[in-house]
Amino acid sequence: MAMNDLDQLKELLFGAEKEALDSITERMDRRDVRTVDVADVLPEAIYQSHRKNDELVEALKEPVGECLQRAFRDDPQTYGDVLYPVMGPAIRKSIMHALRTFAQQINEAVEHSVSPKGLKWRWQASRAGVPFGEFLLQKTLRYRVEQAYLISRENGLLMGHVHHAASKIKDSDAVSAMFTAIQDFVKESFSPDRTGRLESADMGDFTLWAVHGPHALLVCVIRGVPPKSLRADLSAILERIHFRYGEAIREYKGDTSTVPEVEAELERCLRFQARGEPVEKRPGPSIFVIVVLLLIVAAISFVVFRNWQYSRQLQELAVALESTPGLHVTDLSRDGGRFAIRGLRDPLAASVADVAASVDVPADRLTVSTQPFQSLQPEIIAARAAQAFGQSSSVRYRVSGTTLVVDGDAPWSWQRELKSRFSSLAGVSALDVSGLTASDRQQFAERIAGMSERKFFFSRGVEFLPESDSALRAYAAEITVLQRQAADLDYSLSVSIEGSADASGDSAANAALSYRRAQEAATILASVGVAATLLHQAEEAFAEAQPIADVSQRYVEISLQLQSMSDQP
Amino acid sequence: MIPLTSKVCVVGDFAVGKTSVIERFVTNQFSEKYLSTVGVKIDTKEIDFPERGVAHKLVIWDVAGSDKFGATEFAYLRGASGYMYVADGTRPATLIAVEQLHRQITDKFGPVPSVLLVNKRDLVADWEVSDSRFDKLASKFPRAYRTSAKTGDDVDRAFTRIAELVIDDELRGA
Repeated sequence: MAMNDLDQLKELLFGAEKEALDSITERMDRRDVRTVDVADVLPEAIYQSHRKNDELVEALKEPVGECLQRAFRDDPQTYGDVLYPVMGPAIRKSIMHALRTFAQQINEAVEHSVSPKGLKWRWQASRAGVPFGEFLLQKTLRYRVEQAYLISRENGLLMGHVHHAASKIKDSDAVSAMFTAIQDFVKESFSPDRTGRLESADMGDFTLWAVHGPHALLVCVIRGVPPKSLRADLSAILERIHFRYGEAIREYKGDTSTVPEVEAELERCLRFQARGEPVEKRPGPSIFVIVVLLLIVAAISFVVFRNWQYSRQLQELAVALESTPGLHVTDLSRDGGRFAIRGLRDPLAASVADVAASVDVPADRLTVSTQPFQSLQPEIIAARAAQAFGQSSSVRYRVSGTTLVVDGDAPWSWQRELKSRFSSLAGVSALDVSGLTASDRQQFAERIAGMSERKFFFSRGVEFLPESDSALRAYAAEITVLQRQAADLDYSLSVSIEGSADASGDSAANAALSYRRAQEAATILASVGVAATLLHQAEEAFAEAQPIADVSQRYVEISLQLQSMSDQP
Repeated sequence: MIPLTSKVCVVGDFAVGKTSVIERFVTNQFSEKYLSTVGVKIDTKEIDFPERGVAHKLVIWDVAGSDKFGATEFAYLRGASGYMYVADGTRPATLIAVEQLHRQITDKFGPVPSVLLVNKRDLVADWEVSDSRFDKLASKFPRAYRTSAKTGDDVDRAFTRIAELVIDDELRGA
């Protein structure tokens, strides 16, 4: 009862509250009701919590991750289907990119495989043990990012510009604006839906690549052939710039201070550069270098030529010295343009300097050291003979074997000297003078012939006509001189006398008279020491003649005979 | 001084002297020869404003003459910080073209600093724009000038003015 009373009292005092309390208790007890309540506030609670701080994310990170893992594992098909529209294009894009890069490499490989350069590289690659394709890539993908422009897509204003020191730079603001204008022009003119954009342009050695971001454009000027993969690298840089500067890029109005250090980011573009050979064409060698090289080449050529010339001179000199009689070279050497000669030289031989001059080697380039000796070479023996017996234009000496051959014409006395002394010459054992004449001896013989058969006349009996007497005496004196000269020429001069008479009278008497007349003449000749042979006139000669008195038949005739005392005529 | 770079577009009808006005301002030269601009031509010039502490480089877009803009021209105008509208004082129709362009641009890009140049002031005998007509059009612009690219009259002032207006607009925006 008391409990009931108490309950009644509670009901009276807290009727409405109790009802609410019961209701709350019932809701707390009933799970289904509690679930509905939580579901009611859950989205708002999550939203609020997420806005307040990161605790919710942290709390959900692990369970959600685990949920996803389990869900993917348990039902891959469903999630694959869900993700397909996202993954498909992404994969296609990635494959396309890879294929384009590959195609470019193939193109280059084909281009270079048959060229002379390609063949050379193939050889180099095989030597280096590198696959040709790899080697080709190293060689062909030569490029360098020369300049990078960061341009606002909104207004074409330049936010940053970097370049290599060597690059030639025009007004970069104008370049930036003009590129944007061209970009707009291309887009408006060639892209029907205005979504296309200019991504690359080629200009001679340079390639222009534009990488498009949401608010900015990265334009790179690249020298050489960049690989397709470079675009991904440049995109990464542009993404980084967007990430770092975000709003500042979108709102860029020409104040560079709003994008601080953007150029440091752009500098990263310039790092892209292919290994291998330098991309820039090497400048040609300067005129100075060419001149110096030419001078060096000329100097070397000159030295080589001089050396060759000296060697040739050395050979010529050796031959000339060798062929020079009376010279015997024991040592011939060259030091640059100077020649050193050692050896033996006959005093009669040509001088070394003269021999050298004959092959155009001046004496001031010679060092000569010779010892004297006696050469037995024929030329030198002949020269020695000429020195010994005197040189004259009418006499020639030569040596054949050991025989000294002398040709020409020389006085008899000289020949006699030669014959007596030739054997004293070294190397000579015989003398041949068959070609040698003695004109003085011949002239003497002719002179004798001319003086022979002179007649001297008588008046009567054995009395000379006065003029014949004196003539005979002079003739006799002359004969004494001739006899001395004949002896000098190895002749013996003999005299014979024959008398004559006219036919008048007795023949015997006439023969006797003739003989007495010859005796008379012989007496006169004997008076100057000239011996004569007397010849008898036969009597018959008178008998046969006409017996008339003829003065012209009263004479003596004196004849001169030469007889050689030498083996020569 | 703070360096500031701004895009300024010069617009107007054919042969009003846009290119000549720019050439006078940039190189201080004038050529009687008429060369029609195709597409767009770009010049730059820096003006210093020591009192504002700004070195202002103008990137001047010389847009091909037209009395009405199409998509390509609008693409060129995008992002401009200032406009210079140029008309020809000897051809009143060019003032109408300016009004039309001004309306188009304002509709598309909203209010942007601008100045009006009625050019060829040297051709006094051929001048056909009355003061009232000039004033009526000038009232739509912050500043208006009667210029001569040939003599250089007021050309520098007009460019200096647009440069100042752009700076003020930028500073206000900041």
